[in-house]
Amino acid sequence: MPRSRNPIDRFVLGRQLTRAANASVSDILAGFSQPTSHAATRIAMTGPPGAGKSSLINRLCRRHLNAGRRVGVLAVDPTSPFTSGAILGDRVRMEDVSDHENLFIRSLASRGAHNGLADNIPELLMTMDSHEFEEVIIETVGVGQVECAVRDLVDTTVLVLNPSSGDYIQAMKAGVLEAADIIVVNKSDLAGADQIVAALHSVISGRQFARHAWMPAVLKASHQDDAGLQELDRLLAEHLDWVRAYGDPVESRRARRAYHLSTLLARRGAEVIERLTSEWLDAGLAQAFDNLVESLRGP
Amino acid sequence: MSNARSQPLRGKRILIAKPGLDGHDVGAKVISLALRDAGAEVIYTGLRKSPEYVARVATEEGVDAVGLSLLSGSHKELVRDVMEQLQSFHASSLPVFVGGTIPPADRDYLLGLGVKEIFTSDMRLDHIIMAVSKALA
Repeated sequence: MPRSRNPIDRFVLGRQLTRAANASVSDILAGFSQPTSHAATRIAMTGPPGAGKSSLINRLCRRHLNAGRRVGVLAVDPTSPFTSGAILGDRVRMEDVSDHENLFIRSLASRGAHNGLADNIPELLMTMDSHEFEEVIIETVGVGQVECAVRDLVDTTVLVLNPSSGDYIQAMKAGVLEAADIIVVNKSDLAGADQIVAALHSVISGRQFARHAWMPAVLKASHQDDAGLQELDRLLAEHLDWVRAYGDPVESRRARRAYHLSTLLARRGAEVIERLTSEWLDAGLAQAFDNLVESLRGP
Repeated sequence: MSNARSQPLRGKRILIAKPGLDGHDVGAKVISLALRDAGAEVIYTGLRKSPEYVARVATEEGVDAVGLSLLSGSHKELVRDVMEQLQSFHASSLPVFVGGTIPPADRDYLLGLGVKEIFTSDMRLDHIIMAVSKALA
């Protein structure tokens, strides 16, 4: 869908994202960013470390950039809870597209977020929306079940596994269904891919789906052939059509709002707890909790 | 527990970049890890990047500083080109550090281009971290 538009203003967007990432809870509540009329299609890529998320995003981006789309990537890597430092290395695995004129990649440290995302993701996504991206891909920290949180923020969630992810599926059980719209068994040239696919199918077929419900799709992909990538692309389009036909925009707006509220509350809570005095901490639990709730309103 | 002394770079974003044709990046990785342990969020470009790409990533990632790792002997040209490119991305105010095999005779030239500090392999890591923290404080 090539069309005329201004080139990406990397300077302005870069600074806006920095401001969005660093906004305090009070900044956000004071009306940090307003929703824009343009909304990019949002895709989340989630899954355990080493599943090949970055490489798959790299190949998907190349395909979509070649089709003339403007693509943004928000790639989250974990912040060390001990030093607050982070190595943000996803860009290195996206090397062959990373200098494309229609691509913008921002690496994010998870900071205080423990759900596979980063602080202020809603603000970062809104900022991206003001720069005419057709598509924004979020790569989450692959940590397990909790990264389901991303679902509330995106149109389509893709879970990326590989043939050694058997334990992951065991741990998630039917949770894999709640976790994803599309499941990619990546590195399918390695032994064990078919068993993983079979295990996923058996989880899915053991479940009743309502009429018009989206049934999670399972596909194999590998670095060595493009068929899997084409299939992923087809399923992404199909799921987006499904969202447009059967999704409930009111419900999804409410889910986004609920996510937003819960992250703001968690951050404010962490801020307050960090400042608690020993006198408060030594009080009875109920008393301490009351004090905490009292302080949530902020300074 | 965290405190200002052990994490002097907490909240800072730093790009470690390898412009030019160097074949290895052990030094860049060692520095990246040391910066991370000092609390920084470190973005690493990978090997063999053009000055234009380095400046673009610095802008896109909204970093607070850029560290250039250079072993190839072409540091004068490459640093000059990176500085020029930063200017064209409106990022000429970003502090730039240079590390690698830099002969003493070339120091003044690089500092004259606007480089904040030059680090060589005989320096202690904690010294380098301290110098970066001081420049970004």
